[in-house]
Amino acid sequence: MGRRKKIVQECERLMDEPEHIRNIAIAAHVDHGKTTLSDNLLAGAGMISDETAGQQLAMDTEEDEQERGITIDAANVSMTHEYDDTNHLINLIDTPGHVDFGGDVTRAMRAVDGALVVVDAVEGAMPQTETVLRQALREGVKPALFINKVDRLISELQEGPQEMQERLLSVIHNVNELIRGMTEDMDDVDDWSVSVEGGTVAFGSALYKWGVSMPSMQATGMDFGDIIDLEQDGKRDELHERTPLSNVVLDMVCEHFPNPVDAQPRRIPRIWRGDSESDLADQMRLVDPDGEVVLMVTDISMDPHAGEIASGRVFSGTLEKGQELYVSGVAGKNRVQNVGIYMGGEREEVEKVPAGNIAAVTGLRDAIAGSTVSETDMTPFESIEHISEPVITKAVEAKTMDDLPKLIETLRQVSKEDPTIQITINEDTGEHLISGQGELHLEVITQRIEANQGIPVNTGEPIVVYREAVQRESDTVEGISPNRHNRFYISAEPLSDELVEAIQLGEVSMDMPEQERREALQEAGMSKDDSQTVEHIHGTNILLDQTKGIQYLNETMELFIEGLEEALDNGPLAQEPVQGTLIRLHDAKLHEDTIHRGPAQVIPATREAVHKSLIDAQVKLLEPMQDVRLDVPNEHMGAASGEIQGRRGRVDDMYQEGDLMVVEGIAPVEEMIGFSSDIRSATEGRAAWNTENAGFEVMSDSLQRETIMEIRERKGRKLELPPSIDYI
Amino acid sequence: MLTFIGLGLYDERSITLEGQDALRAADRAFAEFYTSRLLGATVADLERAHGIEIEVRERAGVERDPEDILAAAETDDVVFLTAGDTMISTTHVDLRLRAHERGIETRVIHGVTAQTATSSLTGLQNYRFGKATTLPFPYAHGADGLPSSVTETIDENRARDLHTVVYLDIKVGDETENRRADSPEPEGDEYMTADVGASLLAEEYPDLTGVVVARAGSPDPLVEAGRLADLATREFGDPLHLLVIPGHLHLLEADALVELAGADRETLEIA
Repeated sequence: MGRRKKIVQECERLMDEPEHIRNIAIAAHVDHGKTTLSDNLLAGAGMISDETAGQQLAMDTEEDEQERGITIDAANVSMTHEYDDTNHLINLIDTPGHVDFGGDVTRAMRAVDGALVVVDAVEGAMPQTETVLRQALREGVKPALFINKVDRLISELQEGPQEMQERLLSVIHNVNELIRGMTEDMDDVDDWSVSVEGGTVAFGSALYKWGVSMPSMQATGMDFGDIIDLEQDGKRDELHERTPLSNVVLDMVCEHFPNPVDAQPRRIPRIWRGDSESDLADQMRLVDPDGEVVLMVTDISMDPHAGEIASGRVFSGTLEKGQELYVSGVAGKNRVQNVGIYMGGEREEVEKVPAGNIAAVTGLRDAIAGSTVSETDMTPFESIEHISEPVITKAVEAKTMDDLPKLIETLRQVSKEDPTIQITINEDTGEHLISGQGELHLEVITQRIEANQGIPVNTGEPIVVYREAVQRESDTVEGISPNRHNRFYISAEPLSDELVEAIQLGEVSMDMPEQERREALQEAGMSKDDSQTVEHIHGTNILLDQTKGIQYLNETMELFIEGLEEALDNGPLAQEPVQGTLIRLHDAKLHEDTIHRGPAQVIPATREAVHKSLIDAQVKLLEPMQDVRLDVPNEHMGAASGEIQGRRGRVDDMYQEGDLMVVEGIAPVEEMIGFSSDIRSATEGRAAWNTENAGFEVMSDSLQRETIMEIRERKGRKLELPPSIDYI
Repeated sequence: MLTFIGLGLYDERSITLEGQDALRAADRAFAEFYTSRLLGATVADLERAHGIEIEVRERAGVERDPEDILAAAETDDVVFLTAGDTMISTTHVDLRLRAHERGIETRVIHGVTAQTATSSLTGLQNYRFGKATTLPFPYAHGADGLPSSVTETIDENRARDLHTVVYLDIKVGDETENRRADSPEPEGDEYMTADVGASLLAEEYPDLTGVVVARAGSPDPLVEAGRLADLATREFGDPLHLLVIPGHLHLLEADALVELAGADRETLEIA
């Protein structure tokens, strides 16, 4: 029997013992060494050869990942580790660090209970360290810290024990500041800050495969002095043999990360809004393998032989082949064809996967990343929050018409695998538009369509995604149906930032029980009266029904909402989505007979009313912004900050960090297109830079009309605005 | 001048003589057939019979943008045609009011409408009808099951011992303005037949008596009474159909339903 087979068998045995399972993710800033660390852990568990760990990048399974040297999709793997004389099953998800792939990170966090945060000892905590930490903590995932690339402190920077200690302590201090700040308002966790003494911090070199922590130093008797000596003498192999990284890290994982039985009672209320008194809630809290099956899908991938594979966390029940399961948001059931677990890049079929584990399932044809899959129809897990919405769009078309059906199928597949990608069709040109998190995100997706599916495509210039939002409270306006028998009276006003955030974070949604929703709305600052009249939430917009006793309105509401959504998805300025708006329905006049208040009447009347109210509330165009951070040598600082300012950007802060200058600022996404090559030439390639999507801001008045006209022209719309838009 | 002319119930000969004179003398003739249809004649038949070109307008061309109709009526003699009577069960009072706003003179030439034909064919007395209602196709209204406007109308009328005319939905296929690729509505014309209407109503009122009126105004009209649950299983031939849900019946009304509509006297609710 092969070694691999043995490991699979051991995994299968351990799957039934939730106390010995740890579901963990590795998350970090790009290039801080997550994937190299994963390889170490795999090698330690005997999954890949010890020699190749560090170079093999076993979890970067896509060719483009190995070429680019970065991880793009989150990948899954299970391994075993003996700690305290007991074997443990460790389910690991590796996540991408580049900001464009943030959706994958958030989804991975839903499936795990512990996050190993990797920070480069030389660079320290970086902007994406903060982002991934926030993503983890928001999902109720406990952090531990691994400080990587310590070898560079010794060999490159020639630091002595004193300097090294100071630097490491400052990294820990910075990470703890972040953790404390983010967990301050979370009443379901204690102090989650990390410390060397507590054993929740480890140091080492993933490249040279050695690591230490306080408990490991006590066990091996090696202190920093010994390590510096060995590293300086180039005896890295000896260092690896005496204090192997995988043992140190996996011991830390087993000791400090919660097992599912400890984690689920705390996490279920945080991530599921269903009835907390129900049997199902109990089964999920208790990780009951005999309960009803509940699987939260965090990832969809494509296997050339098995087809679509859904992976995710089993929160309750036991997944088995042949089960007929509901998929949230879809009518009917899907039949489970096979269940399995991940070993490296490969999937191993197993008989069953009980609660508390991460499973790979085939046959769930309707599932997308984010679906709740269950034995009975249930309240779905709250939608996974994506910290950034799509900000950039590109048109794609097949070079030959024959490939069109294949392209459509591939695009559908892509959006299933990565819900941060949106696919739309331009109804006038018939082009497919793909929207995502950034230039690189779209570039990778289109390259995959060409390389993996063999479909040659033409792509258009990247286009920024805009929003429309109101600036003040409108008067009550009237929308009249074509037959003039139906009228709606509504007003629009800006929604407070607190309420918008509550919707974005999923703290408020129409899926929640009404009472709970009211309380959440009031907590976010909505008045009690208003909170009782919430009829619908669309995007970050809320509809209040403040009419009283209007006959037949309930019959008509569904059509009204259809018209409302259509009007909000296509704002009055440039047909861009409307955000952050509160719509009040004050009154309605309806025709006696259903036939005279059908879709052809109500939808246009609603659209008219909504657009009139938005215009009266001085709706304006918003554009997406990016926070930019540049690390440059002093002599290039002027050129670097000029690159930000020259892009309608703003430099907010400049400070010295080590021998580099840090420039922090913000600039519109539109202007950031092509930044990468410009900054390289402006600084002779000496600048390291990062961007984070920073939401939408109102464009300056001087650019409003021009930009609106550009968008309208692109969309083939009339180039004149309604005369009522006289404020732009 | 804008003259509203009702074309009556069935074919090119259902119009009144007065209407025919006005139509033949007109400078331009507009028509709409999205609220109802003449099943016995095409537009071409009408044009041939009356020697005038008829410009058919879709819903949008009447309700949203009636500009060319009104502009023509400012200078010429314009007629506007519909099946039945132009002001019953349709919404054209709006068009008439818009004409008045622009100082255009208007008049109405009546046509026979299903409302009166129903009374005439069934023997149910005109004085004893309450509010009418339309039963929409289930996909066409925004609620589950029977719309409450339908059940409330029937219940209120019956509480006051009044009959209810239930018009059955007509979907005219060329009304494409709001149609999307995923629309559940059919592309061609679709008429709800009385058996379908009866089966929808039978969910709520299986044992009530219903009266089917089919092809009123045609050479072979049909009137049939029975339990709604039974009517749901029968066939009544070509459209158009409508249903009546009677209140308690006057003696003579009951006699008429037995004689003219084949009702079983035992099942009738007689006042």
